This record gives sequence, structure tokens and C-alpha cells, in this order.
Amino acid sequence: MPANAAATLNFRDFYVLVPEMVLALWGLIVLMVDLGLLRGQTIPRRRQVLGRLSLLGTLVATVAAVAPLLVRFDDTGAWEWLNFAGYNYAENPDPVLFFDAISGDVLTETYNLLLTLLLALVVWMSMAWSFTENWGEYFALMFWSTVGMMLLTASEELLTLFLTLETMTICLYLCTAFEKNRRRSPEAGLKYFVYGSVSSALFLFGLSLLYGLTGSTRFDAIWHALRPVLGDNSGLTGNLAGVTAVLLMLVGFGFKVAVVPFHQWAPDAYEGAPAPVTAWIATGSKIASFVALMKVLLHALGPWASPTNHVMNPGWIGVVVVLSAASMTYGNFAALAQRNLKRMLAYSSIAHSGYMLVGVMAAGVSTRRQEAAGSVLFYLVVYAFSNIGAFAVAAWLARDKGSDDIDDLNGLGFRYPGLATCILLLMLSLIGMPPLAGFFGKLYMFMEALDESQAHSSRLTLMWLVGLGLINSVVSAFYYVRVLKAMFLRHPGRAVLAPAGSSLAVPIVLATAVVIGFGLYPTPLLNLMKAAAVPMIEESGRTLAEGQPASKGEPDREIAPGTPKPGPAAEPSREGPSSHPSPAPVPAPNS
Amino acid sequence: MSHDIPLNWFLYFAAASFSIGLMGVLLRRNAVAVLMAIEIMLNAANINLVAFWRYGTPPQGEGPLTGVMVAIFVITIAAAEVAVGIGLILLCYRRWHAADVDRFDSMSG
Repeated sequence: MPANAAATLNFRDFYVLVPEMVLALWGLIVLMVDLGLLRGQTIPRRRQVLGRLSLLGTLVATVAAVAPLLVRFDDTGAWEWLNFAGYNYAENPDPVLFFDAISGDVLTETYNLLLTLLLALVVWMSMAWSFTENWGEYFALMFWSTVGMMLLTASEELLTLFLTLETMTICLYLCTAFEKNRRRSPEAGLKYFVYGSVSSALFLFGLSLLYGLTGSTRFDAIWHALRPVLGDNSGLTGNLAGVTAVLLMLVGFGFKVAVVPFHQWAPDAYEGAPAPVTAWIATGSKIASFVALMKVLLHALGPWASPTNHVMNPGWIGVVVVLSAASMTYGNFAALAQRNLKRMLAYSSIAHSGYMLVGVMAAGVSTRRQEAAGSVLFYLVVYAFSNIGAFAVAAWLARDKGSDDIDDLNGLGFRYPGLATCILLLMLSLIGMPPLAGFFGKLYMFMEALDESQAHSSRLTLMWLVGLGLINSVVSAFYYVRVLKAMFLRHPGRAVLAPAGSSLAVPIVLATAVVIGFGLYPTPLLNLMKAAAVPMIEESGRTLAEGQPASKGEPDREIAPGTPKPGPAAEPSREGPSSHPSPAPVPAPNS
Repeated sequence: MSHDIPLNWFLYFAAASFSIGLMGVLLRRNAVAVLMAIEIMLNAANINLVAFWRYGTPPQGEGPLTGVMVAIFVITIAAAEVAVGIGLILLCYRRWHAADVDRFDSMSG
């Protein structure tokens, strides 16, 4: 019997959930303050007071999210006092807690920190102007959606995954419709709701079939149940229920992360939602869903990737290839036609999903899965920060012009050269220009996809995909440059935007700082993300990679004939013909 | 336990109701009808879950009630989704004086 069967709940494990608990409680506090103390106050005053209170909440949550990382990477013992709950890291290096429902590993901790930081920027952005009257509800829902995102990245089980996915999206449906005095906001909310809940239903049906096929909802148990099926290398051949389950779950995830052809909701929802909510849908919800997608595909459904590493064999790799190519191409070419900044960013985020799926596919077939998955996680971080900055520009437009036309940015470079330079850098990072972080995100991901230790049969497809990605990056330059052209080459019209104010300037400047910082020093983040990617890869599963006896009690796990037995080393790389010993595939760029 | 009705029947029924729900989402124009169709899809998945739980034997280390627990949580999620959905439909109804999803088309491109 596994350890969890007789185990009781260890209350020290709640230490891992402190950021989530802080945010959930703070949402309630904000709501109470709005309903109690601020009753009858003017809307701008409530916005200011509640916004500051929410910022304080995100600060507390950030501290709570930093603490586990400090304790974990602590060599000197200087931060031991932060571990107030006496949580034992040595005991569980990569633990799965709460009866295998939630993971408390490096991935969870880094993404908790990332999400709280992004939430702080979004909250700050929200204080810029009064797009709604219901400020208490607004901030509370933003907090609770973040709780959903954090638990989504932490989920190790399909029920938890589905619950948190719904927590996140249901809160976001409501936030989308918060700008009630404009027609497009409720419309966007309803569209997002209809597409989102249909995709949840599809995902759930796939989940139910997968449960029927494997008898479990835990990722690790699903992997074990599917593993023997791979023994005869038939993969999904003839397994109609399995094919249906994989396809339905891919469709569900495809809606959440907005890949073609499941993207129709995205432009409308992005355009209609208030700009800070759009920023949160485009960054928080997308990166959390993407991490969950990678966990499900690479860990639980790993045996169904493609049985012999042939791309077009039955398996999810082939579907991911098609989705990736379609998203990149359609997203970029549709963005070319947009005049509305938010709509353009929506299509560009569809294209970015396509790029990231290339990395997911590489992680699915590669012999360097940990590095490939780590490069996708790196890309997600960079993508999130550049987009937060870009949507702050959209918030600026919405505040002063009430519209999101790119032409309204005319002459911004002459009036506010500092902020315009920041926006320039953000756009260049989104294009993928060196030496900004966006370039290294793409570089690492495409390098992993082109790694020569790939199985020969999938290399050609990966090369095609990378080539398509590079062509698409060139195409994307045209529409990002349109923003720059409006800012720097056109003369200001009658009315230029009013000064940004701290609530809009801070997100733009901070996002730019992150993009430059990780552009100049990408290696620390890259190594962290590679370490974070370990638990989501099935061969390097937490029980084996750490070189300790399987804590979940599977003494006789079957290893397929193709895979060498994982050794006790922490580095789970299979001995490919040219597996690199160095963790970073590219030398540090600033040298 | 005597299996009076084979598992297949449940699965066919669930697949049929799921398809009915999907067709409803795609073909019905009334937002409330779309909401009902989504509920049918969720409940089809619930039938699957409970049938698999009833007829399957849980693998080693799996709790005895997984399928039913998932179904119960799905019911609560469905309730939350209906509450939010009705709220959004009402919000749109106040603006357009219609609950027809084809009419909500102020944005496009």
C-alpha cells in the first residue's frame, strides 16, 4: 500500500499553501472593508483605499511566496527562521502533499512567487482609473482567481486540476464583465463564459474517460497505468477511448491557453475586458494553464506522446504539432490586420502559445526533456512580464482615450521619451530581439527543439516547426513595429495622453527592467526553471530523480525497454549520443 | 454485484447525451438554452465517472470513492457556473433586451 493510504493530514504541509491562504483571506478582508468601512464613499476614494489595501495583500503574499524559496536554497541557515511551521525540506525534496493532490516543489514555489508579483502589477494597474464601481468585489475576485492559478500550477491530480481551473476561470468571467457602463464588457464576459465552460465540459468528459481507462485521477498513477500499454509500442493505436480522451483534453486546454482553432474567444474577451483584467487573462491565466498542460501531457500522458518517437504515430505529439503551426501562423497574420492594441496583443498571445507548444513538443520527444521543459517555463516567465507591460500601455489608452486604437499612441515618444523607450524595449522583447529576454526565451526553446540528440524521425518535423517559428517572428515584427511607428515617427495629434502616473508607469518600468535583467543575465533564471521542470517530467519522476527509495511505494515500477534505468543521480538525462553535461546550452550572452 | 446493465450502455448513454449537449451549444441561439446544453455536457461526464467507479476496481493505492468524489465536485462546479452564467446573461439582456447570442456582436475582426 502506498504511504498515502494510511496517512493522516500533516498540518505542517499547510506551510506550502500560505501564499494561497493569504490571498484568499485578503480577498475577504477587501470585500469586508468595502462593504463596511467604505460604505457611502466616492468611487475614486474606494478605488484608492482598496487598491492600496490590495497592494499590501499582494506584498504579504509575495513575502509568503519568497519564504519557502529562501529556506529551500538556504546554505547558511540564515533564513531558517522563516520556516515557522517547521516544514521539513530534507524529508520531502519534491513532495506531493495532501494525499497526492498538491505538489510543493520548486516549480510550485517559483510560480507562486511569479504569480503574486504579476498580481501586484495588475492591482497597481487597476488603480489607474475607475472603470467600475464595485471595487471590493473586483479586487476580491482578482485575488481568488490568483488562488486558482497558484493551485492549478501545483495540482498533481485531475480533480484538483479541474477544480482550480474552474476557480480561476469563473472568477475571470466575472472580472471580464466588470466594466458595466460599456457595451463590450458584458458581451466579452458572456463570450468568454460560453467558450470557457464548453471547453471545461469537453475537458471533463476527456477526464472521465481517462479515469475509466486508468482507474485513477493522480498524474503519477495514470502514468503507471498507461506505462504497460507502451510495452508493446502500440501507443494509442486502436484505443478509441484513449484517443477521444486525449483529444478532448487537448481541446479543453487549447481553449484555455488560446491556440488555433480554439482561439475565437480570445480577441473578443481581450478587447472587451477592462485592460487590467485583460492583462491578467493574458498572463496569469495563460501561464498557469500552460504549466498544467505541460504537467498533464508530459507527466500523466507521457506514455501516449508518440510510441516510437515518430511524430505522426498515434499520440498527442502529432496534434500538438498541428496546433502549434496553426497558432503561430494564424496568430501572427491575423495580428497584422489589427488596429486595436488589445486585439493585436490577443492575436500575438495566440502566436506565443504556438511558439511555446514547439517547446512542449520538444520536451515530449527529446532526450533532454528537462532542459526542453525548462526552456518553456523560462519563456512563460518572460512572456508574462513583457505582456503585463504591454497591457499597461493599453490601460493607459483606455484611461485617457476610452479606446484602444494604436493610432492614439501617436507622438508618445516626443512627449514621454522615458516611458516610450520602455515600451520600445518591451515590444522588441516580444519580437525576440537580442539582447532582451524575449530573444533568449525563443533561442533556448528553439535550440532545445533543434538539439541533435533528438530522435531522428522527429527531428525533421521539429526543424520545420522551428523554421516556421522563425519566419513567424519576422512577421510579428511588422505589427509590433506599428506601435513603435505610432510612438516615434508620427506627430502627436490634438490630444496626447495625460501623464501616466505611478499606477501605470510602475508596471511598464518594472516589466522593462525584468525583460532587460533576464536578457543580460538569463542563466540564473534558466537554471532555476530547469530545476523546476524536473518534477513534471515522467522519467525523472520525483521518486527516482532524487535517488531515494520510492516514497510513494512502487517498488516494482516497470521501465519500458527503450528507456535506460534512471540512476540515482539528480540529473535525469538519458545517455543520448551527445547529451550535454553543462546545464546551459548557450554561453552567457553578455560576455 | 449483479451487472444487470452492462457498462457499455452507460457509456453509450453518456456519449449520446454529451453529443446532444454539444449540438445544443453549437445550434441553439438562446443563451439560456446554451447554458442548459453545457449542463447536459457536464452531467454526461458525471454519468461516465459514476459508471466507471461502479464497474471498475480501483488500482492499488487508489481510494475507494474517486469517481463519485469527482462527480460531486463537478456538481458543485456546475452550480457555480450556472450562477455566474445567469448573471452574465442578465447583464447582457439589460443592454440588448435579447438573450440571443447572435445579437451580441459589437466586436469582430
